[in-house]
Amino acid sequence: MTSDHSSADIIMTARDLILRRDGVTLLESVSAQIRRGSITLLLGHNGAGKTLLMNCLHGLITCDAGTINGPSLACQKMVFQKPVITRRTTVGHLRFLCPQLDAAARHDWLRRAEMDRRADAPARMLSGGEQQKLALIGALAAGPDILFLDEPTAHLDFAATKFVETMVREAHEQGMTIVMTSHNRAQAERLGEDVLLLDGGRLVETAPADRFFSAPSHPLAKQYLDHL
Amino acid sequence: MDILNPFQIALSLLTSGHAELMGIIGLSLTVSLTAVLVSLVIGLPMGALLATYRFPGRTALIVVSNTFLGMPPVVIGLLIYLLISRSGPLGFMGILYTPAAMMLAQTVLVLPISIALSRQAFESLNGEYALLFQSLGLGRLARIKALVFEARVALLTIGLACFGRAISEVGAVMIVGGNIRHSTRVMTTSIALATSMGELAFAMALGIVLLLVALTINIASQLLRHSFRNLGHDI
Repeated sequence: MTSDHSSADIIMTARDLILRRDGVTLLESVSAQIRRGSITLLLGHNGAGKTLLMNCLHGLITCDAGTINGPSLACQKMVFQKPVITRRTTVGHLRFLCPQLDAAARHDWLRRAEMDRRADAPARMLSGGEQQKLALIGALAAGPDILFLDEPTAHLDFAATKFVETMVREAHEQGMTIVMTSHNRAQAERLGEDVLLLDGGRLVETAPADRFFSAPSHPLAKQYLDHL
Repeated sequence: MDILNPFQIALSLLTSGHAELMGIIGLSLTVSLTAVLVSLVIGLPMGALLATYRFPGRTALIVVSNTFLGMPPVVIGLLIYLLISRSGPLGFMGILYTPAAMMLAQTVLVLPISIALSRQAFESLNGEYALLFQSLGLGRLARIKALVFEARVALLTIGLACFGRAISEVGAVMIVGGNIRHSTRVMTTSIALATSMGELAFAMALGIVLLLVALTINIASQLLRHSFRNLGHDI
């Protein structure tokens, strides 16, 4: 996240990312580093550019300027804020997300998500929380080097949120790098290790999470935390 | 003409297994279903390609395809006739006045429908799935394959639209098939012939058979759609 880490600790580096659309600058010279094996939080108000930055880092959007160095797309996964679900059964969707899993492994992942009884149900008929859990296990099962989570618990109830956080912690313990956005301060404090704060498409503060939440240095960071 | 007479004739023709009528129905279905199948095999990947990728000539392809959508069947029949007649560029194939010529004409007739409707269906689905496919790193072929699978219910509707156009068409098959008894006579050309000969009851009977065929296929498709709805398809 910060420049005092050796290059071996860094899994992804973004330099001077600039993104413009229709004459509007959406990301302005954003430079950041993601530590290997860390949980990095992208924070900011709505419209700050969190999802855009995440999409750029993941390679879904090509920036107008700047460079990104990191693992290939094959070693990355992303879970969208609103899960994109195919017109298949639950297990069929999991197979589509992660074709390399065998039947036993698929069943095991569904069991962990307490969805094994709904394996043959149409995936689009699952509740929003179940669809998000399905998207998450589909991403985790592939064992990516880096996992992007765009507000993964935005519309989830307590139990589903707890499941997501547990899975994120487990993946983190196994060494997976996680980059996520969240508007939930308690969750951010529970999970976050590094924080990147965006405001109006600019990166205004990068700090370890404990320092960010206890003693933010930038006035906009203080203002943001007051509202969070 | 007694209004019930055609129904009685249609019923008796069907129940008695009238050999000539069965032959006509069989040929109609064979020609139209083959044309629909070929047009789907060619049209669906083209529709998916047009919906998901920008390439040189794409707009021209769409314009040509849309132009053919409104092409009168007799004009298509005439074009195919010129192509496959003995002096035409494809005359060496010797298919004029054969079911193969009728299949070719109907394929050309319904191919634009297959391309236009599938492009529409794929564009909508591609908008929904583009980011997921990109995130999963799917290549061009894998994306088209996934889109075709996701669009399978819409494709059923497209197949039905193509079949409806093919089975009800008369002008093109009349020109390239010649309406030859026991060889290239199908339901629509039989109706035209029977009407011109004043056999209105027989023509009506054939019309009823044609409607029954359409009804049967629609019922089957509704049953299929119902089973697909249980898989979470938006119908």
